[in-house]
Amino acid sequence: MAMTMTGEVQLPASRDTVWAKLNDPATLKACIPGCEDLNMLSDHEFEAVAVNKIGPVKAKFKGRVTLSDLDPPNGYKISGQGDGGVAGFAKGGAVVSLTDKDGGTLLTYNVEAQIGGKLAQLGQRLINGAAKKMADQFFENFAAAVKG
Amino acid sequence: MSATGIGAAVRRKEDQRFITGKGHYTDDVSRPGQTFAYFVRSPHAHAKLHSIDVKAAAAMPGILAVLTGQDLAGDKIGNLICGWMIHSKDGSPMKMAPHPALAATKVCYVGDPVAVVIAETLAQAKDAAEKIAVDYEVLSAVTDPAKAKSAAQIHDVAPKNTIYEWHLGDSKATDAALAAAKHITRIDLTNNRLVPNAMEPRAALAEYDSGTDSLTLWNTSQNPHVARLVISAFVGMAPEHKLRVIAPDVGGGFGSKIFIYPEEVVCLWAARRVGRPVKWTSDRSEAFLADAHGRDHVTHAEMAFDGDGKITALKVKTIANLGGYMSTFSSSVPTYLYATLLSGQYAIPNIYCEVDAVYTNTVPVDAYRGAGRPEATFVVERLVEVGARELGLDPAELRKRNFIKSFPHQTPVIMAYDAGDYLASLKKAMELADVKGFGRRKRDAARHGKLRGLGYSTYIEACGIAPSQAVGSLGAGVGLWESAEVRVNPTGSVEVLTGCHQHGQGHETTFAQLVSERLGISIDQVSIVHGDTDKVQFGMGTYGSRSGAVGMSAIVKALDKVEAKAKKIAAHVMEAAEGDIEFRDGKFTVAGTDKSMAFGEVALAAYVGHKFPTQEIEPGLKEGAFYDPTNFTFPAGCHICEIEIDQETGETEVVSWTAVDDFGTLINPMIVEGQVHGGIAQGVGQAMIEQTVYDKDGQLLSGSYMDYAMPRAHNFPAFKVDTTETKCPSNPLGIKGCGEAGAIAAPAAVMNAITDALGTEKIEMPATSMAVWRALQTMNRNQVAAE
Amino acid sequence: MLPVSMTVNGKAVTATVDPRTLLVQYLRDNLRLTGTHVGCDTSQCGACVVHVDGAARKSCTMFAWQAEGAKVTTIEGVANGEKLHPMQEAFREHHGLQCGYCTPGMIMSAIDMVNRKGNDLDDNTIRHELEGNLCRCTGYHNIVKAISAGARAMKG
Ligand code: FES
Ligand code: FES
Repeated sequence: MAMTMTGEVQLPASRDTVWAKLNDPATLKACIPGCEDLNMLSDHEFEAVAVNKIGPVKAKFKGRVTLSDLDPPNGYKISGQGDGGVAGFAKGGAVVSLTDKDGGTLLTYNVEAQIGGKLAQLGQRLINGAAKKMADQFFENFAAAVKG
Repeated sequence: MSATGIGAAVRRKEDQRFITGKGHYTDDVSRPGQTFAYFVRSPHAHAKLHSIDVKAAAAMPGILAVLTGQDLAGDKIGNLICGWMIHSKDGSPMKMAPHPALAATKVCYVGDPVAVVIAETLAQAKDAAEKIAVDYEVLSAVTDPAKAKSAAQIHDVAPKNTIYEWHLGDSKATDAALAAAKHITRIDLTNNRLVPNAMEPRAALAEYDSGTDSLTLWNTSQNPHVARLVISAFVGMAPEHKLRVIAPDVGGGFGSKIFIYPEEVVCLWAARRVGRPVKWTSDRSEAFLADAHGRDHVTHAEMAFDGDGKITALKVKTIANLGGYMSTFSSSVPTYLYATLLSGQYAIPNIYCEVDAVYTNTVPVDAYRGAGRPEATFVVERLVEVGARELGLDPAELRKRNFIKSFPHQTPVIMAYDAGDYLASLKKAMELADVKGFGRRKRDAARHGKLRGLGYSTYIEACGIAPSQAVGSLGAGVGLWESAEVRVNPTGSVEVLTGCHQHGQGHETTFAQLVSERLGISIDQVSIVHGDTDKVQFGMGTYGSRSGAVGMSAIVKALDKVEAKAKKIAAHVMEAAEGDIEFRDGKFTVAGTDKSMAFGEVALAAYVGHKFPTQEIEPGLKEGAFYDPTNFTFPAGCHICEIEIDQETGETEVVSWTAVDDFGTLINPMIVEGQVHGGIAQGVGQAMIEQTVYDKDGQLLSGSYMDYAMPRAHNFPAFKVDTTETKCPSNPLGIKGCGEAGAIAAPAAVMNAITDALGTEKIEMPATSMAVWRALQTMNRNQVAAE
Repeated sequence: MLPVSMTVNGKAVTATVDPRTLLVQYLRDNLRLTGTHVGCDTSQCGACVVHVDGAARKSCTMFAWQAEGAKVTTIEGVANGEKLHPMQEAFREHHGLQCGYCTPGMIMSAIDMVNRKGNDLDDNTIRHELEGNLCRCTGYHNIVKAISAGARAMKG
């Protein structure tokens, strides 16, 4: 079950600050909804655990996330695969790009994701809404993080 | 006709326990010390299985075992099998891939079980399952049968994912007839994949007795003896006499509970390993992935007509999706249960059918109510209807012109129809449906902004499955006779042990009616025993509308023997010649005298043995019989569906349904009607709402009742159901069978009605309101473009 | 673990259960009242319908503790001793069941329907009121007939 999502957020910080925060594990951990754990494996690779609920299916996702196509401070591609155990899996990536705008930074994202197993079987009608909500939450948290 | 004999609408004996909550289904059974199994299933449709790490799970509280496909192979547990050999055109045998009960090296569909957790409680099993880490290497998947041949190969044994390329009929003659035709009607059809959804989810409870080294399995099966045979002979779990299979009350089957599944095999194996009873009960979302699906054909078909509207040839090419593995009877469904019925009710001189069966990364597909015959009827009845429209003929008239009118009739596709009167059922249905008044109803509907359509389906099926010799010559691995044992007790009550299995059909009543009629005793004096391999002699179970035609014929044979022996005993006791004994209405009389003995008195005499020479006649009154039919039976009939479509919204409603079926002799018309109702509902469900959706990666998106539309009460009008009768000449009671008719007839009737209302043939099953609305929009656009 | 007490089919029962125990599990597994069935896991099929304080409830959709102090009636408790409830009689008389799996839920829903909508139910009302109950066997035809007759018989 594939889904795509695009969006943009205006952030009240310079492009360099945003870029730094986007590469900071502590910030990411604080901003990723349901994130319980995040460990750097190398500069561009980390392991994360997040608990999320999609419709009737609640799952703890464990997975590796890699950052690629790094183009500081203009953007990168973040991709990963999370194994939700009995609930199934989620994988995908987002191309994130940063541009200067109105004294701050405009972040645009382009997500492509896939879910499988019970998540797809029971949660497919809800996945788009759930993903949108998660993205909104992430960027709300992220906006707060770059501000302060 | 007696109040409880053949032909009486006797209220069902089994109902008492069901309406009071005292039914006894598999999940209602609990054994001391029982543990619970939870299966870990693949979330990927196609992947290599590199490793499974069970350590963390095994250390969780309450866990008795975590087992994988490696363990299964280590214990030399054999694979599941498909029991019907089909050969391709080139003579090569079908490509049956290994099907382990737990996948060991690769997974082939979402839901393929890879591990099982056995725990003290189900909650503990589920918690531990979360800790199992499976390392998959995901491969590309295919779900569409039409694309299977060019997709990534799923099994080593099956290049191009092709299981067989089979054919039936005379290709040259058919092509020649097509070339000479006055008119050819061509259609492309999809027969949509269905999820059977018996309301009782499958379950299995296995127990090992180390004292006797024997296993007992309670499971939701339509054929416990066949389950025992396969699990013993092929899976190698235990010798047949050390394995008892009990299928207690079963909450609906519709085919899906015929097959031998991984879960029951694993429960048996696990029960022996952990030394405790192991229970598994499917939940509904699991059932969507774990129960064999039905149908899933893609077909191109052509029908040739001469200048008089006579059908001269039929050519069919079908691709059948068998899913990720070959289920127990999967190979026979799109071949000998399908192509052999392509003559329908018509005298068609030339028929040729090709069927390619393919693997895809989907749940295995096998028999579902009707199995092959609904697919055949759909092809034939859509073609005839479209043909009539193209030829400008009334569809009833075109059917009449082509009906087979003399019997026996040998079709070009194996079947020899023995009896029928297709005109009679069509005529009766047309009257009951008031076809004459349809024009008026259509105009009325138009005034309310509605399109009204009428569709026929004059179907035929081959039931009474099946003559062993015939099916043996076609590749079946088993004979399909049936057995019965009639035990008369000293007090004159009777137990009938049957190899059939009831899961809604009401055998406890209809079989008792037969005994009541024959022995002249009340049905309360009769009990029907079934579903336990320790009690009942070997039998083949219930499917393919066989229990009446085959199962009851076996009982008749056994009753004949009982009567013969009882006459002998009565003759001795009454000191008369055996030839002078008459048996009627439960009484043995000596012709020309007033001497008589009631059935019960003879029964007692049989067991007491004081009054007849036991060295000549053995004491006791108990007889068994095996009955093997000499032909299939051929129920047939006519269903007429009327439909109304809201032009604005596409909302489509079945406004009237008429069914006139010829099932031969009816034992209990009330039960027969109920079977027809249920079949129609499943057929209408298929035609209008039931849709199994896979995404391109093989994820099942319609995997719960939130997404898979199940027919509900408001989807239907009251049905008008009636019968005509031509006796079946091949069995003693003249029964043809009624269990599948509705599901076979209905889809074509619905689609013929919808396309009649719409005025376009461009719509596929399920014709949901959305699909109908889309068809209306396309037509409007085309109209605007044309103007 | 959580203590729960309620009255089931007229008998007071008390137990200590895991808080996530559903009412249907409590009825089936603890009390061994296996007439109440489970046909789905998304609250759509109605095989599990019981009466809680006189109203139909899907027992798969509430926890056992939510029935604390309530009067619960299951299919095992609707007959008056040996005498069947008129709705049970009607299901048998009109062949409103085949495999019997949906039947307990159907009967419990039907009785509730009559309690709410009265004894004269037209087919259309019955069909729409059955929205929450699935049957795969009967095509509903005879269930509708049974409920209509049972409703009339319940008048007394
Ligand atoms: S089990 Fe409660 S609604 Fe299905
Ligand atoms: S009688 Fe079988 S589901 Fe209703």
